[in-house]
Amino acid sequence: MYDVIIIGSGVVGALHARELSKYPLSILVLEKNNDVSMEATLANSAVVHSGHDPKPGSLKAKFNLLGNRMYRQLSKELHVPLLECGGLVVATSPEEEQVLDGLFERAGVNGLLENEYQMLTREEALILEPNLSDQVSKAMSLPTTAVTFPWEMAIAGLENAINNGAQLLMNHEVTDITRSEHGFVVHAGGDVFEAKAIINSAGAYSAHISEMLHPKFFTITPRRGEYFVTDNRFPIVQTVVYPAPGKKGKGILATPMVHGNTLLGPTSNFVDFDAQHQTTPEGLNEVRNNITKTIKHVPFDKIIRSFAGSRPTADAGDFIIEETSPGFVNLGGIESPGLTAAPAIAKYVVEELVIPRFSVLPKSDFDPIRKKRVKMHELTINERNEHIKDNAKYGHIVCRCETVTEADLDAIHRPVRARSHGRDQTAYRAGAGRCQGAFCSLEVLKILSRELNIDPIDVEYKPRSFVLAAKTKGAQ
Amino acid sequence: MGGILQQCIHSGFGVEMFKEDLTGPEYAERYIEKMQLAGLEFRTNSLVTELHEDRTLVYTNPIEGYVEVQGKAVILTMGCFERTPGQINLYGDRPAGIMTAGTAQSFLNKDGFLVGKRVFILGSGDIGLIMARRMTLEGAEVLGVAELNPYSSGLARNIVQCLDDFDIPLYLSHTVIQVIGSSRLESIIIAEVDEQKQPIPGTEKTFEVDTLLLSVGLIPDRHLTAQAGIKLHPRTGGPIVNNRYETNVPGIFAAGNGLHVHDLVDWVSLEGERAGESAARYVQGELTDAELISTEPGNGIIYVVPHYVLKQVDEDVRFYFRVDNVYKNVKVNIYKDDELLKSLKKNVMVPAEMEMIKVANQDILDASRVRIEVEVL
Ligand SMILES: Cc1cc2nc3c(=O)[nH]c(=O)nc-3n(C[C@H](O)[C@H](O)[C@H](O)COP(=O)(O)OP(=O)(O)OC[C@H]3O[C@@H](n4cnc5c(N)ncnc54)[C@H](O)[C@@H]3O)c2cc1C
Ligand SMILES: Cc1cc2nc3c(=O)[nH]c(=O)nc-3n(C[C@H](O)[C@H](O)[C@H](O)COP(=O)(O)OP(=O)(O)OC[C@H]3O[C@@H](n4cnc5c(N)ncnc54)[C@H](O)[C@@H]3O)c2cc1C
Repeated sequence: MYDVIIIGSGVVGALHARELSKYPLSILVLEKNNDVSMEATLANSAVVHSGHDPKPGSLKAKFNLLGNRMYRQLSKELHVPLLECGGLVVATSPEEEQVLDGLFERAGVNGLLENEYQMLTREEALILEPNLSDQVSKAMSLPTTAVTFPWEMAIAGLENAINNGAQLLMNHEVTDITRSEHGFVVHAGGDVFEAKAIINSAGAYSAHISEMLHPKFFTITPRRGEYFVTDNRFPIVQTVVYPAPGKKGKGILATPMVHGNTLLGPTSNFVDFDAQHQTTPEGLNEVRNNITKTIKHVPFDKIIRSFAGSRPTADAGDFIIEETSPGFVNLGGIESPGLTAAPAIAKYVVEELVIPRFSVLPKSDFDPIRKKRVKMHELTINERNEHIKDNAKYGHIVCRCETVTEADLDAIHRPVRARSHGRDQTAYRAGAGRCQGAFCSLEVLKILSRELNIDPIDVEYKPRSFVLAAKTKGAQ
Repeated sequence: MGGILQQCIHSGFGVEMFKEDLTGPEYAERYIEKMQLAGLEFRTNSLVTELHEDRTLVYTNPIEGYVEVQGKAVILTMGCFERTPGQINLYGDRPAGIMTAGTAQSFLNKDGFLVGKRVFILGSGDIGLIMARRMTLEGAEVLGVAELNPYSSGLARNIVQCLDDFDIPLYLSHTVIQVIGSSRLESIIIAEVDEQKQPIPGTEKTFEVDTLLLSVGLIPDRHLTAQAGIKLHPRTGGPIVNNRYETNVPGIFAAGNGLHVHDLVDWVSLEGERAGESAARYVQGELTDAELISTEPGNGIIYVVPHYVLKQVDEDVRFYFRVDNVYKNVKVNIYKDDELLKSLKKNVMVPAEMEMIKVANQDILDASRVRIEVEVL
């Protein structure tokens, strides 16, 4: 019997696990995939929004602002990079200037402090971002806007939770939940678990989970966002550049990433579940045509990847954060600004909805710090060589483009294990650079096979798919 | 050692240099032996991570760690990398089973791993063609090769030996318009393209495949060049060099696929020898400065390497160049300034095959420009 079961290991589930691990409770996170946070948390804009934009009075507005204010401390404690680059919403026409004025007012209503939003002339804006397009006439500056490393945040949150006693099971898809005398019975991945409380943070599938216990009361429709990623050797912007918002939300952004790449996107289109991760000619053309409205010198020949993410949009339009029956907390529709809001939602849900059921006090031995990983590129040659003396694997660079060493890949053995080729590419950045793994994927495959002690043929690429199809006679 | 040659276990190497038909590893072995005989020092498993204008560089390996050294001269021979699925407009999901042909080649030829069983290939570059044959021989079914251009970007002999001999269809003026499958590739849709390279509605064909290999071009590896202030050429993607293969940074030379992408290893070796010799002369203080003659691609030519020739008595110059389209029954003219210096008749010229013309150095010393041009007869 667990005290709390969390369904889903995206950034929302991960930060709930960490928040709960501050208390003397038994906690289990169940994740259907073979790696954590491979869904919405994997493919988004990574922006820690300031809170200027959500509709006043909404849960989005409330938790966005609170979440933004928690990110600096959280990033420090978990050693997750945070690019405190600020943001600019830009207007390129008199109509857009009016939209900007409205947004300025909204920022105030949403509770941003005076120094957290300012209206700038074109000249003032150019000092913050020299690469604005010639049409930009006015801009609103949002200095508290930042950029995080989303799945690293989820992995770090989970690692920290596990170090403080939580448990994680991957390849455990929740297929049924029933009520029992003491709480709930959860069927997942062929196993049966019991829990006194459940947090449903299954992202796009949260409505589906909710319906295992409740009549349907919300629907999730995927809203796809398509992006380009550019080569990190050619930075395009130094601050997040938003267009004036339109009917389709925040619009197409230019976002500097923590590793130097620039993200261009996203689009916004409601699609079927089947199509939620598909890029399309229409979508990518929309990015191409719109991005040059706000910024210039866009190096389309330096694009290294395109991808699509899927926002789990609820029909009501706002976040659903509710204890819908005793002990069962539904988190639905956690779309943008969900990444920003996640720490604040977790604090609220844990402190206000979950802990009162258990009447426990925080543990005295909770350790908020997740140990920093060695980052060779931040060190001097002498410091690097000290590490190599201890562990020769630091001297063996597996991924040339992003200088990922074999020791970095030892993260396979950390509490939140990477088990798939796809995860190495995202979390440890082996293959995330300009050659996109052409040079290192064979070596990564062999390291995964050796370290996980499985046959190379069994190394997964993504959940439920494999890198290899067969071995030749010689290799058998 | 040996670079890309070590995964090219097919034959077809060394016909010019050794008048023999060798495999890639055999060809490499000849040079590795020469290096060892000469007693040259070398490091394997060592990646150069930094290069500076003063010719200091940093490399690292598990035994020595990070080491900084300064070369009296430095030669860049870093090879090239393949254009990736991310660089072309590939629409649809991002499932397992989509990779460059060279990656699949390394899996298969280095470790015997087959990446798929039903394969389609996008792009008719040589690596793709070679892999069509290799995967077929290993029991995979290759359903076709689609090429965006109306002509192949691989060598004619590879079309014959790797596709025709195995009845693998080549779809010219076709591209992949969608990839389908969320965890593993399930199918692809190809379509014919018009002259603007836009898909023509109604020409779609679907292939059920678990693997899509890309052979859509190679780009010189230039990630060390920016820091050292080395100027790159927009068409080759590699450094700009003179006839000594010296870049704009004195004492830094470049050759091979890292300079411009080659199809014949023999010419890579020739370039390498020339660059090596120049570097040795540089170290001895024998290289002197001189005025530059620029080389220019004229009508029908994409680029010419070297980009400059020094006005100085030296060895004969080999001009390497590629044409921008398929040409039949043409003349290649070499002009010094506006005077015709040399003219060669050619029955067929294709972009896939690099051309080379040797010009006596003293013939152009009084020129300020040399231009190479295709003349359609
Ligand atoms: C295009 C796009 C751009 C965005 N940009 C931003 C931004 O810039 N700033 C911002 O703050 N927010 C942004 N967001 C929103 C943010 O990404 C999401 O709000 C956040 O990642 C949601 O996290 P999550 O944990 O709720 O969902 P997810 O990350 O989707 O996690 C849900 C998890 O539940 C698991 N799961 C599902 N069903 C089951 C089951 N039956 N059993 C077990 N496990 C299950 C899934 O496998 C998954 O791991 C963006 C979103 C998108 C799509
Ligand atoms: C599939 C294929 C088939 C071919 N078939 C034929 C054929 O049949 N006949 C023929 O004549 N030619 C053929 N070629 C062409 C020929 O083999 C190549 O052009 C030639 O081998 C390239 O040599 P290179 O030394 O320039 O580059 P590479 O062989 O690519 O060598 C570059 C080396 O530099 C290393 N390197 C890169 N960056 C760094 C760094 N930062 N630090 C340290 N080391 C670094 C790489 O690891 C590599 O070992 C073929 C090529 C391919 C790819």
